[in-house]
Amino acid sequence: MNVRIALAVGLVLAGLAPALCLAQQAAGLYRPAAKLPEPKYAPQYSSMEDQRDLSGVWFIRDYNRRFRTPVNTLPPLTAFGKAELDKRIKAETDGAPFADASTHCWPHGVPRVMNSPYPIQIIHSPGKITIVHEVAHNIRQIHMDQPMPATVPTSFLGYSVGHWEGNTLVIETKGTDPRTWIDEEGILHSDKLYTIERIRKVENGENLENEVTLIDPVYFTRPWVKKMNYAWRPDLRVSEYICEENNRNAPQNGVTVAK
Amino acid sequence: MNKNAPMLIKHTTLWLLACATLGFAAQAQSATSFAGIWLLNGDQSTLKTDEGKLPPLKPEARRSYDAAVKARKAGKPMGDTLSSCLPHGLPRLMLAPYPIEILQEKKQLTFLHEAHHMPRLVYLGEKLPANEALDGNYMGFSAGNWDGDTLVIDTGGFNDLTTLDKAGLPHSEALTLNERLRLVDGGQTLEDVITVNDPETYTKPWKARITFKKMDSGYWLKEQVCTDKNPDA
Repeated sequence: MNVRIALAVGLVLAGLAPALCLAQQAAGLYRPAAKLPEPKYAPQYSSMEDQRDLSGVWFIRDYNRRFRTPVNTLPPLTAFGKAELDKRIKAETDGAPFADASTHCWPHGVPRVMNSPYPIQIIHSPGKITIVHEVAHNIRQIHMDQPMPATVPTSFLGYSVGHWEGNTLVIETKGTDPRTWIDEEGILHSDKLYTIERIRKVENGENLENEVTLIDPVYFTRPWVKKMNYAWRPDLRVSEYICEENNRNAPQNGVTVAK
Repeated sequence: MNKNAPMLIKHTTLWLLACATLGFAAQAQSATSFAGIWLLNGDQSTLKTDEGKLPPLKPEARRSYDAAVKARKAGKPMGDTLSSCLPHGLPRLMLAPYPIEILQEKKQLTFLHEAHHMPRLVYLGEKLPANEALDGNYMGFSAGNWDGDTLVIDTGGFNDLTTLDKAGLPHSEALTLNERLRLVDGGQTLEDVITVNDPETYTKPWKARITFKKMDSGYWLKEQVCTDKNPDA
């Protein structure tokens, strides 16, 4: 066998080898390996490469149990809304705070659920974005590219539809159960609450910004905005959180017995 | 043999090795997708082995199981985690007659259970740590790995407060589960073959087989809030 033949045979074999790989692929044995960097836990990774990929674990940066405007003022409450808030602040000061959805181990409502000091995980799937919250195992579903139905059934987390405006995810929510509160202190809402969240990646994908517009003519004199930020946390996982177990603030006769 | 022959062999071997490596990498992932909404087939409130028999309970566990079955029959079921709105645990949550949505990502499979709006996260490509290395909780820790088009999920790190099924099959903290999930029936059925390993409660590991049928894509999970309206009060 001379060198020329050897080379020819080599080339044929070299050609055959990918064919063998293809045959293996056809048999379902071969799958392309992912070429993503591998953070400690995160199922995906965050970068500005795909600004519409919000998947992964996030953790609130600026948690505050009170909802305030971006200039740290009280929201534009109606007289009724202010009176209800004051009643709750007084009850808490007096040591017998009102029970809210979280003390009943109910889902926390929107936008309250987006303001908890626990990890959240965003998962994309065809036609949907899901947010799995560690706190009280809230599962939030956002139906993508669908119109808001004329009437939506009332539920603790409401009915959410989403769409992209550029690289900003816009989520509209209606039908949030008025038994949930806006914040932990006692800003309430009615069944007319309508929230619009504008969520986008900033700071090279290390930060998720959520600008929430709240509209509720019963409790607010005009629409107002609350801002929240979440840090990209590939080192965290959503753990088991069982509110129903050892609930130290379980309400009795509608009043939380603080312990 | 010509002097080029060893080089040829080397060349071919390298290609075959490359193929084998790619084939091995394939084990880390599969094109199989379990994504969709699934509903349990049949009533699995009394879990049986894949041979339709009572699982091989040890004598003490058998007494506790018989007592639970007797109490339920008498219309006075013993309290379980569900009556207090606590989680079902596993595999009981998989046996609940409510829809389950599966979300599939490269490194995570997520079960969203309508029952108790409970998520179950399965980390893909990881090895299940020993029970001693895990904090015992209701849903345990699940690690999944592909075996061809079958997803093998190993779960451990359970507490002993739940039962395996509604009837009352007990388990200890030594429990580990091995589940083999695959699509059958042209992708319209999801099969879950569950092997229960709990040497403190059962005389030997045993298998159960459950299946789920795919629901219409238009369905979306409803909000089931046990602490508001407990379906199992």
